[in-house]
Amino acid sequence: MSAEQQDKNAVRVKGMGDGLCVMLDPDRPPDVLEEELTRVFTPLRHLAVNARVMLDFGDGEGGDALVGKLGDFLRDSFGVGEVARIARRGKNGPDERLRQRDMDQSWHHYRSDVLMLTGRVRSGQKVTARRHLLILGDVNPGAEVAAGGDIIIMGSLAGTAAAGQTDDLESIVLALDFRPTQVQIGPVMAAGLPASPRPFPEYAHVEEGGIVVEDYIRANPFGRLPWPEVR
Amino acid sequence: MEGKIIVVTSGKGGVGKTTATASIGAGLAMEGKRVAVVDMDIGLRNLDVVMGLENRIVFNVVDAVKGKCKLAQAAIKDRRINNLFLIPASQSDNKNVLIPEDMVRFGETLKAEYDYILMDCPAGIERGFENSVAAADEALVVCMPEVSSVRDADRVIGLLYARSITPKLIVNRIVPEMVERGDMLSHEDIVDVLSVDLIGLVPMDDNVIVSTNTGNPLVLQKESKAGAAFLRIAMRVNGRTDLPIEVPRAQGKFWKRMGTKFGLGK
Repeated sequence: MSAEQQDKNAVRVKGMGDGLCVMLDPDRPPDVLEEELTRVFTPLRHLAVNARVMLDFGDGEGGDALVGKLGDFLRDSFGVGEVARIARRGKNGPDERLRQRDMDQSWHHYRSDVLMLTGRVRSGQKVTARRHLLILGDVNPGAEVAAGGDIIIMGSLAGTAAAGQTDDLESIVLALDFRPTQVQIGPVMAAGLPASPRPFPEYAHVEEGGIVVEDYIRANPFGRLPWPEVR
Repeated sequence: MEGKIIVVTSGKGGVGKTTATASIGAGLAMEGKRVAVVDMDIGLRNLDVVMGLENRIVFNVVDAVKGKCKLAQAAIKDRRINNLFLIPASQSDNKNVLIPEDMVRFGETLKAEYDYILMDCPAGIERGFENSVAAADEALVVCMPEVSSVRDADRVIGLLYARSITPKLIVNRIVPEMVERGDMLSHEDIVDVLSVDLIGLVPMDDNVIVSTNTGNPLVLQKESKAGAAFLRIAMRVNGRTDLPIEVPRAQGKFWKRMGTKFGLGK
């Protein structure tokens, strides 16, 4: 790419709401940027008057002095209004990108991995889900529920539950009335869990190689996550 | 005549299916209906003994289904209760001698002759169960207040639903004193787990054993609480759905109950 072509790519402008967004290459010298701004803004002179201009230096490090200098230049040459720099919340790390993807796109197109059932799973019946299993109902003694991921029972769990089959130790088993005959998470198994005196939401998870059952409301295991994630 | 076939089942053995079949059958006959009770426990027949008709058996249900005799020849008329007939099981065959398709055909014949046909289902969920439910329109599930009985009843209820039969529940052999002490499941606990409509609660009663041994119908014994409970169940089966379900209570607890009612004590 020739130097002239590189200079032409140094400034790009696009409409943003009621103002203009100007993307600049902070590696170009200020006088080159001013030349390019003149070239780009001249045909837009009628739109630029009193317009709010946001300067975007991408992920690069553009100094505040440069923002001030270019702002003064734009105000003097084209009579723009407020000039500011687009605020960036730190670098776009993998988490940030994941979050952006989740927030912007994935949820709209996400094909659910959850098998959601209503009703009562009776003794002798077995329900198996490829990934997560959600039952709006009860699981009776003698019934079996198994899932590749989490098992959520919006009712009483009195049968056998096997989550994270066959080797996912991160899975949980949650029930509003938690009194299972047996719980399995991945290869870890627990039986004879003491029944609570009254029904309340509890969940089982693996901690240090063993299954631990906790009050779900008090533990609130996912409340600490900074943003919603697809599980 | 287009009768109704009701299967009496439980999954678990020894919970009182045969007693319930004999007593509800007798109760329905006393309501003026023409009733046949069919012993489907082929190879282990009992219903004839409970009804005191064992010495009158010539033909049995297998003979009737296989066309070796007419239905009227296999049906034994009870001499104490009008309109009550027993079709006994064979004692020498096994359950595999019949298949569900045979029973569906036989069911049509029975429906043409009787208002109610009660099938006394054997324990278990194998061929005997399949034969018993093959032609059934309705089901009564008998359950005792024991965890094992509840679990088996739950299994059977699932199998009945799978055959598009919505069962009704009888809780048998309730000992009110034990329920009050918390040593026995209450009928509310059982209904909570099984999630089906309750049709009757039957208290534990010594008269059941006397009746079974002597072959005298339980419902004819005036002092029998279980007999009275089965009579009420028969009335509900016969459409008296307004009849309230009587909860067995412990004796001599009147003042305690009154205290509870007015918010005193527990």
